[in-house]
Amino acid sequence: MTYAYLFKYIIIGDTGVGKSCLLLQFTDKRFQPVHDLTIGVEFGARMVNIDGKQIKLQIWDTAGQESFRSITRSYYRGAAGALLVYDITRRETFNHLTSWLEDARQHSSSNMVIMLIGNKSDLESRRDVKREEGEAFAREHGLIFMETSAKTACNVEEAFINTAKEIYRKIQQGLFDVHNEANGIKIGPQQSIATSAGPGACPRNSRDTGSDSGCC
Amino acid sequence: MNFLRGVMGGQSAGPQHTEAETIQKLCDRVASSTLLDDRRNAVRALKSLSKKYRLEVGIQAMEHLIHVLQTDRSDSEIIGYALDTLYNIISNDEEEELEENSTRQSEDLGSQFTEIFIKQQENVTLLLSLLEEFDFHVRWPSVKLLTSLLKQLGPQVQQIILVSPMGVSRLMDLLADSREVIRNDGVLLLQALTRSNGAIQKIVAFENAFERLLDIITEEGSSDGGIVVEDCLILLQNLLKNNNSNQNFFKEGSYIQRMKPWFEVGDENSGWSAQKVTNLHLMLQLVRVLVSPTNPPGATSSCQKAMFQCGLLQQLCTILMATGVPADILTETINTVSEVIRGCQVNQDYFASVNAPSNPPRPAIVVLLMSMVNERQPFVLRCAVLYCFQCFLYKNQKGQGEIVSTLLPSTIDATGSSVSAGQLLCGGLFSTDSLSNWCAAVALAHALQENATQKEQLLRVQLATSIGNPPVSLLQQCTNILAQGSKIQTRVGLLILLCTWLSNCPIAVTHFLHNTANVPFLTGQIAENLGEEEQLVQGLCALLLGISIYFNDNSLETYLKEKLKQLIEKRIGKENFIEKLGFISKHELYSRASQKPQPNFPSPEYMIFDHEFTKLVKELEGVITKAIYKSSEEDKKEEEVKKTLEQHDNIVTHYKNMIREQDLQLEELKHQVSTLKCQNEQLQTAVTQQASQIQQQKDQYNLLKVQRGKDSQPQGLPSDGAQVNGIQPEEMSRLREEIEELKSNQERLQSQLAEKDSLIENLTKSVPVPGESEAGAAAGVAEVEGRLSVLLQETRELQNEIKVLSAERTALKEQLDSSNSTIAILQNEKDKLELEITDSKKEQDDLLVLLADQDQKILSLKKKLKDLGHPIEEEDELESGDQDEEDDENEDGGKDQGLSI
Repeated sequence: MTYAYLFKYIIIGDTGVGKSCLLLQFTDKRFQPVHDLTIGVEFGARMVNIDGKQIKLQIWDTAGQESFRSITRSYYRGAAGALLVYDITRRETFNHLTSWLEDARQHSSSNMVIMLIGNKSDLESRRDVKREEGEAFAREHGLIFMETSAKTACNVEEAFINTAKEIYRKIQQGLFDVHNEANGIKIGPQQSIATSAGPGACPRNSRDTGSDSGCC
Repeated sequence: MNFLRGVMGGQSAGPQHTEAETIQKLCDRVASSTLLDDRRNAVRALKSLSKKYRLEVGIQAMEHLIHVLQTDRSDSEIIGYALDTLYNIISNDEEEELEENSTRQSEDLGSQFTEIFIKQQENVTLLLSLLEEFDFHVRWPSVKLLTSLLKQLGPQVQQIILVSPMGVSRLMDLLADSREVIRNDGVLLLQALTRSNGAIQKIVAFENAFERLLDIITEEGSSDGGIVVEDCLILLQNLLKNNNSNQNFFKEGSYIQRMKPWFEVGDENSGWSAQKVTNLHLMLQLVRVLVSPTNPPGATSSCQKAMFQCGLLQQLCTILMATGVPADILTETINTVSEVIRGCQVNQDYFASVNAPSNPPRPAIVVLLMSMVNERQPFVLRCAVLYCFQCFLYKNQKGQGEIVSTLLPSTIDATGSSVSAGQLLCGGLFSTDSLSNWCAAVALAHALQENATQKEQLLRVQLATSIGNPPVSLLQQCTNILAQGSKIQTRVGLLILLCTWLSNCPIAVTHFLHNTANVPFLTGQIAENLGEEEQLVQGLCALLLGISIYFNDNSLETYLKEKLKQLIEKRIGKENFIEKLGFISKHELYSRASQKPQPNFPSPEYMIFDHEFTKLVKELEGVITKAIYKSSEEDKKEEEVKKTLEQHDNIVTHYKNMIREQDLQLEELKHQVSTLKCQNEQLQTAVTQQASQIQQQKDQYNLLKVQRGKDSQPQGLPSDGAQVNGIQPEEMSRLREEIEELKSNQERLQSQLAEKDSLIENLTKSVPVPGESEAGAAAGVAEVEGRLSVLLQETRELQNEIKVLSAERTALKEQLDSSNSTIAILQNEKDKLELEITDSKKEQDDLLVLLADQDQKILSLKKKLKDLGHPIEEEDELESGDQDEEDDENEDGGKDQGLSI
């Protein structure tokens, strides 16, 4: 049960894009074709391993309905990672991404890692948003991108883990203040020695950038 | 505000005219003065008046005060006064010492002013933004005012805070304030904020509330801490109670592990202050919130597991067995342990293994049961023990078996040196204390719950009564006491036990009916017209009788189902019986007990119903009513239906078994098929190998034959003959045709010849009769002679031709003969060759047999070699060697054949 780091995630996106199903697939490894509408937020957790380190992911799955927006906004600030989900078979959910992203950027800490997810990739025949469009949107806004299927579990694991990897990389670079829990990151119980890894990684990073500038 | 004036109209005349005027003046100054100092003084004056003249200040000044909050933010002092004034107007806290009447009024005042204040949502948002102000004079009164608003009109204010951006998060920051007063009041604010609002509870939890609060509790010294610990614990309870998402988060965040040290209260402790008792009480309740029977089963069981794994349960059991623990805490600890073990086999097993530190050590269960049947113990403690026992047995067949076994003759400790659970329960069942009777009866009923085996086992229990009398069965003793007519509580307890015992257990029903006194007693009880206090007992008697009918397997001739039903109809009447049965669920205490598993009674006389028993009543009331109303015919029909169903069931099970067997067979056969396939493949490869070998040998044989054929050609042999053989039939037929033609030709010529002969004869006859003219005749003769010579010539030619043809024919005949003879020769030769072929075939077969033998030999040799551990390469050499040998043999055979020819 011990962990090196604890990351807080939120899952956001329009209603019905499969946020709760993604979480269920990730935490319970099962798929529920008919899922109740999420009321407010629901909590889920799982342990993952990155670079040999145990990392605990605490995930808050938010309601996509507009009426819950004010509630779900309260969760942006304290999250280290966000999965922004749209449905590849419904273009309008893709069109709303900009407003979701604005909301997230406005209420979250600037370092929050955002993973753009095109869900329901198993419904290729009903596809309404091309993969390239998702990729382009992600590139334009500096997001990581993946297409997933909560039904077949395709890429679900990867989506959560790659987000964690990105956060971990940012920690190594010293971009996150791991001692401020408001960032959605917590150091594990007996990991106090490893805290020096953050700052320790800092100089190396700066050295890298230094050599870069020297090159130019 | 008009209605306010209306409500307060009577009183508003009360305060002096001057005060109202003063307040008005002050308000004017606040509103109109341009000097900050002036306004500040006016607000301060309003504040000082606000407690005494709450209504007046509230009505007249609120608007102005809010305006100050909006416009004078730069001056923390005036903001502080304004907030304090508003707090005085809205809060009811300060007036507790006033008499009841005015308190009630002031409560109205508070909520009405609150309503006015929050009508403008921005006012609440304004307050939230003031909380950002670090200045103590602003932040502290803001916290207090907001708390008071939440206390007055919680749901509305919660909603406003929920929709204002980061509202909840900002309030959470109060917990991080270094000034203890603000932090502590922040806890109170969060308490009011989180009260029965799941969405806010989740946000607060998301903002690391658990971590913060647990830290504060630890900093403050856990249970030894002051009221702050208490406040934090209440807040934690708010966050977790009935909030599955937060409970899951709490468990996943490994916070259960952090609760364990709270309960490390050893014997050496310096005493139990009231605050400590309160704190510990709340801590225990927090544990119970996580494992409450009303939570989803999965959630509760995972928390139960975590509590065992981190040692929390063990810690609680230590408190259970410690000395000097206040009864209040001990009771709550028992209740907590109950819910931590309820329905969780691992925890139940652990609990069964706990021993009290006495000499000799006794199981905790026994020690607890001793308290349950001890009249001198506090009532709540006895209830808690009963609950603990029930939770220990809940879905625990093993535990049920262990308890019942302590009553069975074979396992009772003959020496009597230690008391067993069973003995304690029996003692309680037949003691003079009705509460003990009830508790023991219900406890025993729980040992039988949904456990047919134990219901039957308990029938074996025999009790020794007075010396000289034969032992009496437990069942018998229960009914005896029931018939003696003791206190209602005792009888209710025994009836609960009997109903539980007999339900779903036809053998127990038979035992019960076997005692001929029982049925008359029950019918008597039900039929009698008794007072209201006896109605419940009547109802329970009806239930017991109903159970004896419904679960009756008709094994007793005197009490068949049908007979019992007739008895009810005659003695009681169906309607009456059903009405009496209905008394149970209509009882005022019934619904109370059906809500929660925990036996929770305000005082001993309310101890009537058990939770599990209410479930049983719910289950049986309907079916018994149906069974009673049903006519005997219907009954029979049903019986038949049941039988056919059983038959069907039998058939189905039979087929199921068959299918299972066939499945097995199928599996076996499949296996066989696969092995056979495998073998088949192997064999086929062997066959193809051998076929190719045969082909090789055939080729070789043909080769040899050809060679030999070449050798024998000079002797004028078979291939030519074969050719002649082939052509001959065609030629023969052609020759035959020719001969036929010639024959017909000859015949035709002969017939012509005969014609000519006859013509000549005619002519010679006609010559000697020269009739009319000699000249004519001479001419005619000359003509005839000419024709004759022609004819003769012709005949000669024909004869020549015939000669030629017959010569030809003889030549052909000769030719035919010679070819026939060649055919004979060829036939001969062919026979010979055929013989040869059969010979060689035979030989070949022999060779194949030899080959197979050799193969076998090779195999055995291979095996041997393998056994001996020889390298495998040799095998190939061996094989090729074999091949050579075979070739040699073939060549030999060929030579032999050549010689034989």
